[in-house]
Amino acid sequence: MERPSVWIVIPAYNEAPILENVLRELLQYDSSYHIVVVDDGSSDGTATIAGKFPVHVLRHPINLGQGAALATGFEYALREKAQIVVTFDADGQMQPQDVGSLVDKLQNEAIDVALGSRFLTSVPEGMPTAKRLVLKLATVLTRLTTGLKITDTHNGIRAFRAQALRKITITQNGMAHSSEILSEIARNKLAYREVPVTIRYTRYSKAKGQSIFNSINILYELFMGDKK
Amino acid sequence: MTPITPIKIILLILLVIVLRAFLVQKSLVLAKRLFVFLLFFLLMFLVIFPDVSTRAAKIIGVGRGADLIFYLSHLFLFFLIAGLWRRCVALAASITELSRTIALQNTNRPQEKSEKAREKN
Repeated sequence: MERPSVWIVIPAYNEAPILENVLRELLQYDSSYHIVVVDDGSSDGTATIAGKFPVHVLRHPINLGQGAALATGFEYALREKAQIVVTFDADGQMQPQDVGSLVDKLQNEAIDVALGSRFLTSVPEGMPTAKRLVLKLATVLTRLTTGLKITDTHNGIRAFRAQALRKITITQNGMAHSSEILSEIARNKLAYREVPVTIRYTRYSKAKGQSIFNSINILYELFMGDKK
Repeated sequence: MTPITPIKIILLILLVIVLRAFLVQKSLVLAKRLFVFLLFFLLMFLVIFPDVSTRAAKIIGVGRGADLIFYLSHLFLFFLIAGLWRRCVALAASITELSRTIALQNTNRPQEKSEKAREKN
């Protein structure tokens, strides 16, 4: 079986301290991956660091939000004739081998989307209890609103087939895009599977990552159609 | 005829200033210009003859004329905010579009691959 061209889209906003490690790990894991770093208007030289690696670097002139950065990366990867597009975080929480398992899942089963989940096996190590509860609540809400039976609705590691990704429109510039992607999957009746992945809760990622309080903002963004 | 009190003069001057601020906007289309003009004309009329608004309030069951105007202005402001909100959302969408276009035009490709591409050409 011929290897498909796999494109990894990494939205990055002020991730200079950690990005180097993330890119090195990914390229060490599989150097055939095409990597797109979308610098979302960073002011700390994120794009310069990305430029040291054999990756594609896109820059938003201003900070728009993670959803907007992903959408830009998607458009670029699709233009470059990507066959599989993977979303990956720049904060070092995700493991490169999980990209491999998502891509394998897409190829081995006739599905459109493979979604990473932290909860398929056991409780993730180091995850704060409050965060686990909020994420649990999000799965219940997602089941009610979209009908998707997903164990982890806000996991940033996902793999899409190009033809499926073309059907997905992201209008949420901010963090509400996670829910938007899921409702797009439901709307287009895309075939999806969850794949167990490991998320590392390091001190850096905890400080940079989403505070659970932000989930209130995300709900607000979804209902008000706020774009930022 | 009700007497001319200082508050009336203050309100009238304020109305004229706000009206002027509206009308100097060149982008305002004629229909909106006319609407703004009529609205201010009505407001000025109500300032000079407050009894009219009180009578109107009584007819629809509101206590005082000032209350009626208070309610109506809330409604009006609500519509104004809704319109502004819509405009903000549209503006944000076009800024996103613009930023994306700029980002996609200035891409940095991996070194080795662009060299290969040059060899092909």
